[in-house]
Amino acid sequence: MIKLFKQKEKQREQAENAHGRAPVKKQSAGELRLHKGVSGVEQWRGLGNMSELNLPKTSTIAFPNGKDDLMNFEVTLQPDEGYYLGGSFVFTFQVPPIYPHEAPKVKCKTKVYHPNIDLEGNVCLNILREDWKPVLNINTIVYGLNLLFTQPNDEDPLNQDAAAVLRDNPKLFETNVRRAMAGGYVGQFFFPRCMVGSK
Amino acid sequence: MAEPKNKYDRQLRIWGEQGQAALEKASICLLNCGPTGSEALKNLVLGGIGSVTIVDEFKVEMNDLGNNFLVDASSVGQSRAKCVCTFLQELNDAVKAKFIQESPERLLETNPSFFSQFTLIIATQLLEDSILKLDKICREGNVMLVIARSYGLTGIVRISVKEHTVIESKHEHFVEDLRFHNPWPELKQFAESIDLNVVDPVIHKHIPYAVILIKLVEKWKEMHDGHLPLTRKEKDEFKHLIKSLMLDIDEDNYKEAIRASFKVCPEGIGSDLSQILEDGSAEVDFGSSDFWVMVAALKEFIANEGEGEFPLEGSIPDMTSSTEYYVNLQKIYQAKAEVDFLAVEQRVRSILKRIGRDSDAISRADIKTFCRNSRKLAVRRYRSIEDEFKSPATLELQKNLNDEEYSYTFGFYVLLRAVDRFAANYNRFPGLFDRRVQYSLKSSEVADDVHRLNSIAVGILNNLGFKAKTLYEDLVSEMCRFGGAELHAVAAFVGGIASQEVIKLITKQFVPVSGTFIFDGIEHKSQVLPI
Amino acid sequence: MAAEAATTSIDEGLNEDGGRWKDLDKLILRPGTIVGDNFEPGPELKENLMKMVRVLVVGAGGLGCELLKDLALSGFLNLEVIDMDTIDVSNLNRQFLFRFGDVGKPKAEVAAKCVMERISGVNIVPHFCRIEDKDISFFDNFHIIVLGLDSIEARSYINAVACSYLEYDSDGNPSDGIKPMVDGGTEGFKGHARVIIPGLTPCFECNIWLFPPQVKFPLCTLAETPRTAAHCIEYAHLIKWGEALKRAELFGISGVTYSLTQGVVKNIVPAIASTNAIVSAACALEALKIMTDCSKTMSNYLMYNGTEGIHSKMTAFDRDKDCLVCGPGILIELDISVTLSKFIDLLGEHPKLLLSKPSITHRGNNLYMQAPPVLEEMTRSNLNLLLFDLIGKIPKDIIHATGTTSINGKRTSCLRKLRVIFKGTAEDVTDMDTMGAVYRFVDKDNPEFWGYPVPKF
Repeated sequence: MIKLFKQKEKQREQAENAHGRAPVKKQSAGELRLHKGVSGVEQWRGLGNMSELNLPKTSTIAFPNGKDDLMNFEVTLQPDEGYYLGGSFVFTFQVPPIYPHEAPKVKCKTKVYHPNIDLEGNVCLNILREDWKPVLNINTIVYGLNLLFTQPNDEDPLNQDAAAVLRDNPKLFETNVRRAMAGGYVGQFFFPRCMVGSK
Repeated sequence: MAEPKNKYDRQLRIWGEQGQAALEKASICLLNCGPTGSEALKNLVLGGIGSVTIVDEFKVEMNDLGNNFLVDASSVGQSRAKCVCTFLQELNDAVKAKFIQESPERLLETNPSFFSQFTLIIATQLLEDSILKLDKICREGNVMLVIARSYGLTGIVRISVKEHTVIESKHEHFVEDLRFHNPWPELKQFAESIDLNVVDPVIHKHIPYAVILIKLVEKWKEMHDGHLPLTRKEKDEFKHLIKSLMLDIDEDNYKEAIRASFKVCPEGIGSDLSQILEDGSAEVDFGSSDFWVMVAALKEFIANEGEGEFPLEGSIPDMTSSTEYYVNLQKIYQAKAEVDFLAVEQRVRSILKRIGRDSDAISRADIKTFCRNSRKLAVRRYRSIEDEFKSPATLELQKNLNDEEYSYTFGFYVLLRAVDRFAANYNRFPGLFDRRVQYSLKSSEVADDVHRLNSIAVGILNNLGFKAKTLYEDLVSEMCRFGGAELHAVAAFVGGIASQEVIKLITKQFVPVSGTFIFDGIEHKSQVLPI
Repeated sequence: MAAEAATTSIDEGLNEDGGRWKDLDKLILRPGTIVGDNFEPGPELKENLMKMVRVLVVGAGGLGCELLKDLALSGFLNLEVIDMDTIDVSNLNRQFLFRFGDVGKPKAEVAAKCVMERISGVNIVPHFCRIEDKDISFFDNFHIIVLGLDSIEARSYINAVACSYLEYDSDGNPSDGIKPMVDGGTEGFKGHARVIIPGLTPCFECNIWLFPPQVKFPLCTLAETPRTAAHCIEYAHLIKWGEALKRAELFGISGVTYSLTQGVVKNIVPAIASTNAIVSAACALEALKIMTDCSKTMSNYLMYNGTEGIHSKMTAFDRDKDCLVCGPGILIELDISVTLSKFIDLLGEHPKLLLSKPSITHRGNNLYMQAPPVLEEMTRSNLNLLLFDLIGKIPKDIIHATGTTSINGKRTSCLRKLRVIFKGTAEDVTDMDTMGAVYRFVDKDNPEFWGYPVPKF
């Protein structure tokens, strides 16, 4: 390749001389195409994500960092049936630079009384961890999250207490969910209000 | 030195404390410390090898500064062995580093017993007849020998050891012995205590697949006159049987059971392992090694208490399960492994006694390790260099020759031997001239060397039982171009391979290469030839 | 007689170096029969190798230390090395340029200093920082980049940077800006070495699937039904740090040790000197062959496994012609007067694209997004602006577009790389594109035997 590099250099010099211009340092292609610290991969990965986005009616998306950061966003879910009808739950999405090779990091920002979401906002959803595959996308995750609210399950609990109540006393579970969403204590834990329209 | 454990953390994850201890006990002798030898030794010293002794007669010259990192400009004119030794000591002061300024060839003549004090000898850049002599000495003295050579864009690594036995071969893709087809009473009892038809869905999805399979194999056998699902059709039916018990398509434990259903039929032992069991060395006497004594005990165990099975390893893979079920299951497997181990131990002790050795000569820990690895044993035997030269493995080689994937390796093997003959005849390597020559493919000097080297190579080929056609003419010409050069990158590669094999031989873990490794630095398609 | 005793001295090498490069000279001064197409042996080649060529070594760890030494002793005398790490005690079993006294110091600086002290004539510039911290122009002056890294992200980043220099002619053949890369990786007795010549051989992105994703345990298993020590540790790491031991005790699980904790949490992989030496040497040799053409170049991915015997397997992987990183993209010639809205219409009409409802992005700026509504609103005002102005009046650049197109009668969403050239500016090219053959990668047999997880931090 040394020969090739030399040839290119010579061609450049000749071209410059032929144009009668003083040799000017050419701005590199790399400089033209890339920002400092951005490889460009993130840009089109984010773009690909958004173009494929086909969210359920129960959800909305927001971009807290503006239109050019598509790798960090928030999805708000408002379940239209089930225990959590009337609630509004915000999830933060962090899309890694090597997405879809690796799953986005998803956390529930809203404190929720839920068997599969713990009080720190960790979510037990298989496709976020062990079952993630590069063919999956943001849509699948949002649908998965939606399903967690319409069909919470007591079999893979992160919040053991909530799971036990759901299993043994669904009526009480419903009451607890209502209480938590309205803003109040369930057991020793306080849940801020998260009903639609609440601020 | 401060915190040696911490320093070796990343390698202890591979060969553990025992492997490290073996390294720290070993004493290595390096013959010739050009870049190939220096790099091999560097890797071993970093890993904490016990002691190294360098034998090299040369003074550092300018060209050493162009290919050997272990000497520097201030070394010129000094003993190369001394300079390399000093740098190695700087790398790791836990290692005892010594040097002898002497030619290995002279030492072979004057003091052959010198070599028997070492665990292993790494011979680098030695010519054919010296290697022959050294190999004889090493075999007589039971010293392991690793030969490494870099030459232009090619190189060779070869092990010469009468017999190397491995207990911890660390096979990676290994199917655990879980005995689904033939559970012992405790395991059977545990499986029976669990009801697959349990109503609670949480319990149902947390029954470990081991239990599911044990119960279903039992059921299958009842329905099929005691036979296992052997044919493809039966295996599919068996999978359907598992599937039919699922309450929900998302039950991971059942999915795992289906995926693991092939484990219900015992795999049978591989040909390597059956060869070990049938090996003559398993007829032990006073002179037998611990390994073969344990193999003899293993055979007895299989024929008696084992009822045809090897001792149980005792470990189970991770599987979807409640913690309680899993931990209980683990305990049952561990308990059985312990029972098997005790039986093997007893047999080892009585064999030792029978052959006239102290019945405690082999430690419990060693027998335990042996039991845990009894299905992964490996034995390597290497032909002597003399045998390799006198009675070539023509048939085995023939199989490799038609492999177009590796176009250069066999040619390099022949040419590496040819350049040594050339050097013996002309006192120089091909492509190196006494007079100043402008190296050109057309010059008569170069053409002469190519021609001479080619005839020597053809002679070797004929001895090996091959026609001359199998040699690329271009490769002969390249070999002359190399002119005996020891390139640093090639030396680091070849030396790296040599040090890796030394580690395997000394730790007795992992499996050393079975044949002769030929490095092809042109296409990077290296190959192991069965020589 | 030792082999080297036979090497009687006289050769055609340059005498000014006192025969120092006598061995290397055989390869770069002598003509050969199995060599690269552009091989021109002689003193000029040697001079260029040693004085002109600039090499960037990324990483000064296990591979990096070996690479600096191997490259310097292969005649590359102008090196730069970049690494953000400082030296740890656990590096000393293989990173041979560091001593106990160096613990805590920046790897790049100590490594550079050590190699310069031992090899006279070599110049190594160290950079103690993250690669992402460097301005892109930093990479302009390197002829070749050698990677000794342990993360997919960093590889993907450097790959995108190196490929961004690539220019294609109107036939879709690489015409300029080829920045070759050599990449190595190891874990235990396993490793790989590969050559990436952007535009000619597959880039890192073309077959990123070669790197298996990291094993992850289900969160609920960790929380409720842990079975192994690793489960307990990962639970503690993810959810409640500092409880691993207690937890294991509670569930009756043994084996929670400090060593395993480090392994699970930091995903520390085992590392030994020999594998690093082998893989680095392979990389350095390939770098030498790529730059001097003194022999063939490997094609193109070497997988190495020394666990059982010595297995080395070369695989010639294929390029993904549609690769968004190294592919030529689709050439589109435009008037300066084209608005973004008109440009979007053009993409729908372009025979190679037929993109309906495309969203457009340029250098991280989303120029127009069709969806979701919130982004559409934010970008709508750009539609009537001139594209040339929107991309900063650059005569020739890459734009990414995504939308739906019809493949075999099926609507499919796709992402396309576009090379946009404005007519009447300095850089215009007359021909329209001839590229765009759909070429998908066929999965090569990639047995687990070769695979080893790439650690992530």
